[in-house]
Amino acid sequence: MANPKKGTSQERNEFVWGWIFILPTMIGLIVLNIYPIFKTIYESFFKTGDFGRGNIFIGVENYAKLFGDAEVWQALINTFKYAIVEVPFSIVISLVLAVLLNRKMKGRAVYRTIFFLPMVAAPAAIAMVWRWLFNAEFGLLNHIFGTKINWVSNPSIAIFSIAIIGIWSIIGYNMVLFISGLQEIPGDYYEAASIDGATGIKQFWHITCPLLSPTIFFVMITRVIGGLQVFDLIYMVIDKNNPALYKTQSLVYLFYQNSFVENNKGYGSTIVVLLLAIIMIITVFQMWGQKKWVHYS
Amino acid sequence: MKIKRLIAAGLTATMVVGMLTACGGGSSDGGGSKKKGDTLTVAIWDTNQQDGLKQIMDDFTAETGIKTELQAMDWNAYWTLLEAGATGGEMPDVFWMHSNEAVKYMANDILLDLTDYVAKSEKLEMDKFPQELKDMYTWKDKVYAVPKDRDTIAMWYNKKMFDDAGIAYPDGSWTWDEFYEIAQKLTKDDGSQYGFACNPSNEQDTWMNIVYTMGGTIVTDDNKSGFDDPNTIKAMEFLDKCIKNVMPDANTMSETGTDVLFQSGKVAMISQGSWMVAGFKENDYMVENCDVTRLPKDATTGKSVSLYNGLGWSASAGTSMPDEAFQLIEWFGTKEMQEKQSELGVTMAAYDGASEAWAGGAEMYNLQAYIDAMEDTVFRPHTNSTLAWWNPMVEELKKPWNGEESMADACKNITSIMNEKIAEEDY
Repeated sequence: MANPKKGTSQERNEFVWGWIFILPTMIGLIVLNIYPIFKTIYESFFKTGDFGRGNIFIGVENYAKLFGDAEVWQALINTFKYAIVEVPFSIVISLVLAVLLNRKMKGRAVYRTIFFLPMVAAPAAIAMVWRWLFNAEFGLLNHIFGTKINWVSNPSIAIFSIAIIGIWSIIGYNMVLFISGLQEIPGDYYEAASIDGATGIKQFWHITCPLLSPTIFFVMITRVIGGLQVFDLIYMVIDKNNPALYKTQSLVYLFYQNSFVENNKGYGSTIVVLLLAIIMIITVFQMWGQKKWVHYS
Repeated sequence: MKIKRLIAAGLTATMVVGMLTACGGGSSDGGGSKKKGDTLTVAIWDTNQQDGLKQIMDDFTAETGIKTELQAMDWNAYWTLLEAGATGGEMPDVFWMHSNEAVKYMANDILLDLTDYVAKSEKLEMDKFPQELKDMYTWKDKVYAVPKDRDTIAMWYNKKMFDDAGIAYPDGSWTWDEFYEIAQKLTKDDGSQYGFACNPSNEQDTWMNIVYTMGGTIVTDDNKSGFDDPNTIKAMEFLDKCIKNVMPDANTMSETGTDVLFQSGKVAMISQGSWMVAGFKENDYMVENCDVTRLPKDATTGKSVSLYNGLGWSASAGTSMPDEAFQLIEWFGTKEMQEKQSELGVTMAAYDGASEAWAGGAEMYNLQAYIDAMEDTVFRPHTNSTLAWWNPMVEELKKPWNGEESMADACKNITSIMNEKIAEEDY
């Protein structure tokens, strides 16, 4: 925006109105996001007292404890396992669906609605339904397959079961983003490619993928962040008696447990600061890596 | 053009003002409760009790003209709300207190000091409430809550399974060893039926009762862990035998929950607290097939011990209507309303002798077992910050449940975890 002192009255006007229009969002961001970030970092250096009173400064003691805490590192591994499964699968599946649903076909709106529906349902309700689908004793999945698999209480597979729920719930949202990206690709490219003899698969790799790469990049950035912050599915599906809890709890779950159940907000803050740092590093790498594969036309 | 701009400016201004007031509303009160004119807000965590308590509160409004508003939520949401409320200064006026959390709230002056009110009250008969319950809600000689209810534990069994196996129904005179034999008979080899079920988190309602019945303890009199007590270890070893031989595997119990396993005819017996009865009355399968009896006794002492706990009604220290809030708490504590609470089937009463109506209110079950259990009770174990060791204790017990660790080792580990956490307590 131009410097208002030098500009014409119209420029000055635009400057003022511009700020007024983004003010509500800015206030929301500052009050609900930015202030809490700094408050959390601040609290991670304290042994917090009850009800926010009597906090004692303990320097980096929480961090020292964090680095020696096997539970935290296990939670970090769990979180990564979840994200590594959820992000690629949800992107690939929704990309394929988006391409299929971007053609002229009967019942297109119906299919789009069906795939988007999980996004509209409350995550808690989704988790409850899946919890019963996965139930080893009475669950539909074991009933259909005739198996006796402990989907959500076998420590070695429970986190992947959770990831399946995650993929299922996010596909619709990714798909809508991909469809909007696909619609921006001019049809002439495909026409020209057809004339030159390119098959559908070739068109997908050489036209769709490069031209859709900004959207794929956006979805990837947001999904990696979202995947690393997984909490509600684990919280709803994994009971505290569950033998798989130790191998499924995510960093945010551990943060919740420490901050709100065991009332140790200082250590809870330390755990999320670790998560914040990890997410920032990964995002920086992704931003840097995009030069290699994202094509902005 | 100008009109459009004016409208836009107006809209923006309302949005901004709206957000500012929404965010600032909490702090402008300076720690006081939400001013809602003449309405007392009441918060509880058990939706099963909502309708009954609503009736009692309606009577209160009819009698005094003070309006009330009841909010019921689940346990986790309740404590999150209460803690956030206490930190930000926006609490309900009247709410429940639990032995897990009471000390934290009392020690930080979050609760209204009821000492003088209780002393002056003409309606309350404090000597009719159990002493341990009153002590629980007293901190440094100040009273912070009036007892609301109490609960005991009893054993539920599936009559049909007993019939099929040709075993007589338990009449409450059994011992834990006899219980184990019955459970073994009721456990089928093909895994279609088990004698008993209990999760690590069924502490108050199941395994801690065995510990106290066999002469053990969870917390000793000098505030140390009781998990190194030989009797505690004996009880835990007995439990371990049950886990290995007469219970479904830990995965099944944690996924499905012991009460659901019982209600779906997978398990012959579960031990449950009286707070579950309201829900059990609604379950058709249980009404048809199940009944309840007293917990087994210890063979040597001949005693059957039930844990008990009770909630208290407390008020926010920052309430704008302290007198009215106490009037409501007093109302809940009177003999008449304690009896009404039993009659309506909400819970057993904290008031001595006012629970009979509760047992009579369900002809399908022998709820007298819960009343009889009051003969020999131990108050739910607690220290000043119970939660700090309670969850790690349950977490550690998951290991013997899964067979990852012996019960003896788990008891050793719990002893050190508890002693460490109790030593850190700073009240």
